[in-house]
Amino acid sequence: MSLRERLDGHIARAMEEEHLVALHRTRRRRRLLVVAGAASVLLLWADAAVSWAIAPSDTAVRVNLVLLVVMAAIYIPVVTALNSATRGLASLPESRLDERQAAERFRAHTYANRVMRLVLGALAVFVVVATWDEGEKSQIPGAAVFLGVFALLWTHFLLPLLVAGWRLPDPPPDDDQDDDRDDDQDGEQSDGQAGAA
Amino acid sequence: MAEEPVFNRIAVLRADRGVSRRDLAAALGVHYQTVGYLERGEYSPSLHLALRIAEFFEVPVEVVFSLKPFPKLGSAS
Repeated sequence: MSLRERLDGHIARAMEEEHLVALHRTRRRRRLLVVAGAASVLLLWADAAVSWAIAPSDTAVRVNLVLLVVMAAIYIPVVTALNSATRGLASLPESRLDERQAAERFRAHTYANRVMRLVLGALAVFVVVATWDEGEKSQIPGAAVFLGVFALLWTHFLLPLLVAGWRLPDPPPDDDQDDDRDDDQDGEQSDGQAGAA
Repeated sequence: MAEEPVFNRIAVLRADRGVSRRDLAAALGVHYQTVGYLERGEYSPSLHLALRIAEFFEVPVEVVFSLKPFPKLGSAS
């Protein structure tokens, strides 16, 4: 077994572990996670905007650092929970997915691609409008370009997971949970019969 | 294009044979949640997977899958 296969196997097993289940148990919570994930990416865009507006300056560096720390604080738990909820749908190699998961990932990538086209279009319009007055003399700080490209890449990277998390239906209960539920129902029924009698 | 529903008896067959979702999933080489989604009718399998499910239960594929709802147990049809 190659190193890559072993690494993929390790990631696949990690995706099966129940991380932060309380955060993604219901569809409403998963969608809140997706909103939080989108907000974390927006912070990167805000970072680029701050650099455009006030870089180079010490204030820009401080604001950038604060935004990146806040972004990371939101991003890490959100992505961990969404990966756990989707069982690595957007992260694992296709060879580790079954046909349903692969089809769902294909759909997630399709929707993410559409959203990305809108983002790119909006970005192009924004840059043209923001530099229109200055024309050929307009200058964009290097930090803003770097952070803008970084935000673009991160958006492209994260969108499929956000789409997959948004679309994810409530998973079917596990067999053990079924058994527990059956036991509960049996208990309730017997209680009810006893009450009726 | 809206997906046409495909009805199945996987849950009934699985209960009848005393097979857990995880066991069936392992035999089919799919995620155990996929079996759950199949049973709930939220995912229609490929022809290949449908044939393998039928093969696992040792019944013809039309016993497991149908384009029309299966009659309920005890009903006349």
